[in-house]
Amino acid sequence: MTASPVPARDEILARLTGYLTPEPPRFRGEAEPLPTVPMTVTGAPSGDATLAAMFGSRLEDVQGTYEIVDRPGDAAEQVAQRIRLWCPPLFDDQPGAPTQVLAWAPDEIGVPNLENRLRESNIELLVPGDLHEAQVRHKAAGLSVGITGVDAAFASTGSVVLASGKGKSRSASLLPLHHLMIVPASRIYPTFEDWLRTLRQAGELENFLRHNAQVAFVTGPSKSADIELNLTLGVHGPKVVHAIVVDDGTPTGS
Amino acid sequence: MAADNSKSARPRVALFVTCMVDSLYPDVGIATADLLEQHGAEVIFPEGQTCCGQPAFNAGFRRDASKVARHFLDVFWPLVRDGGIDAIVAPSGSCVAMVKHSYDILFADDEDDAYQHKAQEVSRVTYELTQYLVDVLRVDSTGASCTAKLAYHPCCHLLRDLRVDEQPRRLLSHVEGARVVDLPSAEECCGFGGLFAVKNAGISTAMGRRKAHHLSACGAELVAVNDVSCMTQLNGVLLREGHRCRAVHIATVLRKSEAPQGEEPHA
Amino acid sequence: MLDVHAPFESRVTQALADDHLRTALDRATTRLAERRDLAVAAVDNPALRHEVRAIRQFAITHLPDMLQQLETNLIANGCQVHWARNAAEANDIVRDIARRHGVRRVVKSKSMLTEEIGLNEALETDGIEVVETDLGEYIIQLAHEPPSHILAPVIHKRAEDISDLFQRELGMPPTTDPGVMCATARQELRRKFLQADMGISGGNFAIAETGTICIITNEGNGRMVTSMPRVHVAVVGIEKVVPRVEDAFLLWQATTRNATGQAVSVYFAMCSGPRRPDHADGPQEMHVVLLDNGRSRIIDRGYPDVLLCIRCGACVDVCPVYREIGGHAYGATAYSGPIGAVLTPLLADDPTSVCELPFASSLCGACGEVCPAEIDLPRILLDLRSDMVNAGTSSVLERVAFTSYATGMQKPWRYRALVVVARWATKLLPRNGSGGLTKLLPPLNAWMRTRVFPRFARRSFRRLWRKRSSGRGIEPSR
Repeated sequence: MTASPVPARDEILARLTGYLTPEPPRFRGEAEPLPTVPMTVTGAPSGDATLAAMFGSRLEDVQGTYEIVDRPGDAAEQVAQRIRLWCPPLFDDQPGAPTQVLAWAPDEIGVPNLENRLRESNIELLVPGDLHEAQVRHKAAGLSVGITGVDAAFASTGSVVLASGKGKSRSASLLPLHHLMIVPASRIYPTFEDWLRTLRQAGELENFLRHNAQVAFVTGPSKSADIELNLTLGVHGPKVVHAIVVDDGTPTGS
Repeated sequence: MAADNSKSARPRVALFVTCMVDSLYPDVGIATADLLEQHGAEVIFPEGQTCCGQPAFNAGFRRDASKVARHFLDVFWPLVRDGGIDAIVAPSGSCVAMVKHSYDILFADDEDDAYQHKAQEVSRVTYELTQYLVDVLRVDSTGASCTAKLAYHPCCHLLRDLRVDEQPRRLLSHVEGARVVDLPSAEECCGFGGLFAVKNAGISTAMGRRKAHHLSACGAELVAVNDVSCMTQLNGVLLREGHRCRAVHIATVLRKSEAPQGEEPHA
Repeated sequence: MLDVHAPFESRVTQALADDHLRTALDRATTRLAERRDLAVAAVDNPALRHEVRAIRQFAITHLPDMLQQLETNLIANGCQVHWARNAAEANDIVRDIARRHGVRRVVKSKSMLTEEIGLNEALETDGIEVVETDLGEYIIQLAHEPPSHILAPVIHKRAEDISDLFQRELGMPPTTDPGVMCATARQELRRKFLQADMGISGGNFAIAETGTICIITNEGNGRMVTSMPRVHVAVVGIEKVVPRVEDAFLLWQATTRNATGQAVSVYFAMCSGPRRPDHADGPQEMHVVLLDNGRSRIIDRGYPDVLLCIRCGACVDVCPVYREIGGHAYGATAYSGPIGAVLTPLLADDPTSVCELPFASSLCGACGEVCPAEIDLPRILLDLRSDMVNAGTSSVLERVAFTSYATGMQKPWRYRALVVVARWATKLLPRNGSGGLTKLLPPLNAWMRTRVFPRFARRSFRRLWRKRSSGRGIEPSR
């Protein structure tokens, strides 16, 4: 590394302090005070629709799809059907090897009776241990469906929050071509800013970010417009994103 | 429509005709004076005036610009101070923008505040022609007529620096017989830009050609502009490329008289 | 592609002669600008601009505090923080990390900053394979070209050009279907992601209070680069810091609305350290390189405003000059368009080395009007021009011209005399085309090569005015 008597850190900070004090920098234009709480940029759609319906409609705007399940007990059935739609069984009457899907731990997906119902359809959840192990990685990379829950979702944009954590791999929402996400209606907030406020007021915002290593906001399928501004889906992440919104009857944010 | 003359005499307007109008397009200056007079103003022409300093300022030659700007203020400020005039009006968005906004920059670092102060006082009463006609003299229609297919090109400084757009459009829409057509990408620059037009002649011409292309596409026979610099650029390209459309200064369109002729740069 | 190392004049001439390029630029910038217009019209944009400005201005004003807070929190999150004064130091730091981990393959997500410091080349000298994974960046990497737009790096290429490239480099069957081309790249790059030992990203925002690096992507390569390899290195400019989590969310939305017209990008990855022991994936080490590379000096040079930039590219898309010449005409720089015209000289050790850039603008003001951080770009261009003139970059001819101009314009009689001379002189000009006598006056020649020059009026306005006034029996004033 470049030999220098003063560490870069100290030199940069000293330089900045010299340039910024005692006289503050002179900007061209009005000085604006820092807003105490930044504004809500993208508001929730107005109207009578439920947050679940708004979320779904926004997700459709960004090339995602959704369905709403009224009873939590029905969710497992919908998950099984959706996977079979994406990965039809090779042989109708023979069980063969089970269809594996990359998944969060069942507890984190939060669908009652999920594993049992999937077993009936010869579908198996693969919850990866350590994806830096070549074998695990190789296996995970070959799967075409990923199933996750969500930490929160937003009616304003059709976005979801996926925090990495124990039993919550990033890969499940990233590597497969199809991403199936289970969205409890109680986790849908009208806007980002509502969610931020809730976490901030509860004193949880900082820890939520710091303890989860990566908190990803995902809004629809992966896309690019690099080739003559033509929209193409599934560049690196999933090409198909489907949300099963489970109306669990509990109010938002609980 | 005339100004409200009930409470005072006619407003006295000092015409800042600009150096380009004075030397290249005197008819635009006459049209400007006619318009102001027709709508109730008394026009005086301070003969000491030359230029606002914009060419040098935009080129980065601030010391030179400052000398010219001082001269401008030496001519106009005494009139403002003594209450001899109510307004300074120029048929140019960019020259007015120079006086109203750039003088502040030019004199900000002056040791002596005198010119900064003069600039602020002058700036307060300086208007672009259509802005003054509509906002102060409350003109709605100038009573002009024109049979041509007419487009309007908003000049950049007028539009973005002075935020004047509705005024010229309204006046043009009330020109009798005129068929005002929508110019595609109207708010795109014509490519003049002072020194830019010669220092970056290739880019400047390409921009002018794009504008000429849009003018042809909308079928305009005349395009009205509020700045003779943009007019020079547009006609420079339109004539060279053999387009039928001509650029004219808005004052000559709005003047109550026979239909305006396109400025022919070459006799 | 035009040669980005050629002189400015030559780059511009080459660009203007390339009809494919200009068609592609026109289409793309028009559509991007239209999308942006719709997206900002859907929100309270004036308020949003004020808040973006306020947040960025606060961060820059308090940079030393912000950066130290950021550092403390990054370390608390388990990151390793490095500081670099310049490109060489930053590249050395990254090379050193690579060496320690025996890295042979690197995947990168889009970062203009690493473009600025030439990180790829530095790693390649150590025999490391560096793969750009943003589709656009990947395309230009295959083509050995620099990006031509801060956001849409391959804006200058047609689908046919990209198809040819993929056929040649990747053995793709002939097609111009963007879907097929995209799938080809996906397959190729997926392999790279899974094999890579190290991921390098930039950072759109760095949140001081939580020690979080935020990365905006639509393709998902930002998440890939920060999740799949064992080591993640984020190279972040010191100006990217923001105080609070909420600020990053406001800036994220402002960026995407202004960049592509999206309410939000598909992915927003907020990275706060390496994976925890019980996590299935994510890097085992996360390094953050805080890089100055001329940024602090920009404050000293009197242009703190340009550090407010959030790199959305809105100014580029509305710029009529960029639309004619594209990004490569701005030279061997990561930044083009109006922001490039100010940032490139301000980042340079010697701003006068690229003195032509601030002059390559008609000062139409479109950039300043759209900037989400309310950066007064036209004003900055003007100020830089003045700096360049004061530094003596202008030609003798220009200096003489403006000195004469100023001398002439200070006295009405001199001005009148000048006009008379000009009137006579222009009478001698050819009617059409340049050449002949106009060669004596290069600026006039430049005008007349492509445009008709107007004739000076036989009688100036002031003479007409006198006549008009005396006809009415009015004394001319003054």
